[in-house]
Amino acid sequence: MNVVQFAHGEIYMLGAYCSYFLIKLYGFSFWEALPLSALLVGLLGIVLERFFFRPFRGRFEPSIIVAVGLMLLLQTIAVVGFGTDTKSMGGIIPGVLKVSGVTLSWDRLIAILVGIILVAALFLLIKKTKTGQAMVAISQDIYAASLQGIDVNRISAFAMVIGCALAAIAGSLMGSIFSTSPFMGTSAITKGIAVIILGGLGSIPGAVVGGFILGLIDGLIPPLLSSTMAGIVGFGVIIIVLILRPRGLFGHE
Amino acid sequence: MNKATQFIKPVSYPVLILVLFLIPLFTKDAYLLHILIMTGINIILAISLRAIATTGQMSLAHAGFMAIGAYTSALLVKKLGLSFWAALPLGGITAALIALLVGYPFVRVKRVYFAMLTLFLGAVIRLIIMEWRNLTRGSSGLLNIPPPNSLNFFGLYNIVFDSKVPYYYLILVLMLITLLFLYRIDSSRVGRTLLAIQQDDSVAESVGINVTNFKVLAWCLGCFFAGIAGSFYAHFIKTLTPDSFGVLQAIYVVVYMVVGGRRRFYGAILGAFILTLLPEFFRILKEYQPFVFVGILLIITFFLPGGLADLPKLGASMLRRLKGPSVNHA
Amino acid sequence: MLEIKGLTKHFGGLAAVTEFDMSIYSGEVVGLIGPNGAGKTTMFNLITGFIPPTKGHILFEQVNITGKATHAIAAKGIVRTFQQNAFLPDMTVLQNVLTSCYLHPKSGVWEAIFNTPGYRKKEQKALHHAMEIIEFLGMDSVSDELAQSLPHGYQRLIGIAIALSANPKLLLLDEPLAGMNANEVNETLIFIKKIRSVGTTVLLVEHNMRAVMKICDRVVVINFGKKIAEGLPQKVKRNKDVIEAYLGVSEDAA
Repeated sequence: MNVVQFAHGEIYMLGAYCSYFLIKLYGFSFWEALPLSALLVGLLGIVLERFFFRPFRGRFEPSIIVAVGLMLLLQTIAVVGFGTDTKSMGGIIPGVLKVSGVTLSWDRLIAILVGIILVAALFLLIKKTKTGQAMVAISQDIYAASLQGIDVNRISAFAMVIGCALAAIAGSLMGSIFSTSPFMGTSAITKGIAVIILGGLGSIPGAVVGGFILGLIDGLIPPLLSSTMAGIVGFGVIIIVLILRPRGLFGHE
Repeated sequence: MNKATQFIKPVSYPVLILVLFLIPLFTKDAYLLHILIMTGINIILAISLRAIATTGQMSLAHAGFMAIGAYTSALLVKKLGLSFWAALPLGGITAALIALLVGYPFVRVKRVYFAMLTLFLGAVIRLIIMEWRNLTRGSSGLLNIPPPNSLNFFGLYNIVFDSKVPYYYLILVLMLITLLFLYRIDSSRVGRTLLAIQQDDSVAESVGINVTNFKVLAWCLGCFFAGIAGSFYAHFIKTLTPDSFGVLQAIYVVVYMVVGGRRRFYGAILGAFILTLLPEFFRILKEYQPFVFVGILLIITFFLPGGLADLPKLGASMLRRLKGPSVNHA
Repeated sequence: MLEIKGLTKHFGGLAAVTEFDMSIYSGEVVGLIGPNGAGKTTMFNLITGFIPPTKGHILFEQVNITGKATHAIAAKGIVRTFQQNAFLPDMTVLQNVLTSCYLHPKSGVWEAIFNTPGYRKKEQKALHHAMEIIEFLGMDSVSDELAQSLPHGYQRLIGIAIALSANPKLLLLDEPLAGMNANEVNETLIFIKKIRSVGTTVLLVEHNMRAVMKICDRVVVINFGKKIAEGLPQKVKRNKDVIEAYLGVSEDAA
């Protein structure tokens, strides 16, 4: 929706905390907490879209500033409310799977599976449903879209809900595999922005490819060199790609 | 402008500068001076970021270039024994050279992507500093950076940098030079051309303006002063760690500029001033402190999108409305 | 003055302009007409260097300018206006016109910074020049108004003023009359005549046929990227191919 949502990482973080509290305080199981936290965070998304992003729709600078402000705000609320120590949610499914000498932990496999399903679902949503197509229309020309009878407000809110729900799910998964802290959002959003810029704004296949490339770099380089080198190489790749293809790998804007 | 404002304007600037020079005579409070010095640094950062922004490009790498200036200067003095007074400009020049290196490809992309590119550039700079441990000692930080060499004037005055006061004067002078230089550019035809490029670069191009060259010029200029600010910072704080130069700091500089108001020159000065000073008053709140920062940010964005610099205009239009409709209603 | 030979432009698989030949002689007002999408704006973009041609070349005053950068071409004397957004919204009319005074008189960056007397004289000259252009187009009453606050007709004039202020030898006007009422059209035509009378050559893209007939010495017709007719306006008007190309489009498009 042409919104540069820097605060998305914090949404991810909030999703993780939401699941955490649902599990620890209310005794839900992980699989119950996951959709619940997605729902709750999605609802938060509606509020955020209505009050923070809609007033500045179409204006680049205020949108970024609001997103940044929101990012700081949510992070500070988390620090103040939840404390700076990291928390642990307990794994999704304990145990590992041994395949031809390689040890894979179940919870990471499940995370991958959930990720694939959700991305596929999102892709289908955008390509096959009217709502999805409306979103594409708005991202190309908001004025023309509204003239076509698209309720821009409703679709924008919907996009925000979807985005926040997905982020919450991602945050819950990562939070349970690794750990939950108020600062987990920053690295997540940096990686996220890197992936979509590399893949090209507005392209889901691009995001997938971008994610793969950067993920591979993140996975292969640290054992060989160091984790900071992974960051350098990753960003370096993006910079070079953007110079050669100013719209990213698959971008069409 | 009535007679009063016509008189006040040209007098106010020299008076202000005089006051700034006299402050250390009235207070030797190290804490206050420290804050003022940091304000000076931030003003240089904000106004140089604005220089880049006059062509419409939003740089999120400013902290990174500050880092380049800081580490360059610190290393030149520590490892090569250069005098601070040579290292300071060299820090700025190094920053400008690196900016030039990436400048031409960078300015050709669309604005959104430019912002992202600078974001990543800033991140890369920080990571390289962390990685190049032989040179920069990585995350452990560069320690014991020597203060600026004492200045000897005609064998009479000896200025030793052993208290905050000489630093204060130094940053004051640096800040004034930066402001003067950038102000001259801004109000000259160069500034006009940069503004035209921001509004519509096709139109500018079509009348013979080499848009790419100008964008690179603005970019390198801004990064140069970021480097200068960094050099000063290194020899003032005397310790450097890569964490002080991350994306968050870069975003802070952007916020200074936006809150103050990008359009008018003094907007960036105002923004840096208020946003450096104000949180200090709320320091007692400790971890609630960022709320103040964010609060100011959001209030400004919602109510004063042009930044604080718009206040006079807003005030004037409110006054006009209070006075009621007049015959000269436009 | 301007010679175009074999100009071709392909966008991917689409041939926007094919084997286009055209000559423009000093001092004339030439109209480039054709139905929408025929390739007129592409021609402008090719001539002024906004996009590079796939084939062919363009000579301006015997110098090959094919594929050169737009600002270099402008420096040589070819300046264009734009169909939309031809001006700088957040600046005054005067500032708008001053923008194109950048090249003449030329001054260095350091001169500007130190505000040397030489620089100040150049600024005065530029100011004078800009005011001349503004008065020439009858806009001196609004010279201090923000461009975006002015009515549409004025805004199009600002676009022309900016281009004019760059001292073009060849002025390319992209649909200067779009969105104007009859009065504004007549006034603008008077301006174009005045522009021609001071020696500037004009190439004009327009849909307003009556205006084209009135003001152009010669007309070139383009359709689907190819030249289909050329000559005196009255003759071209009666050309069979031209009428066919415009079938369904009213002659009085205004």
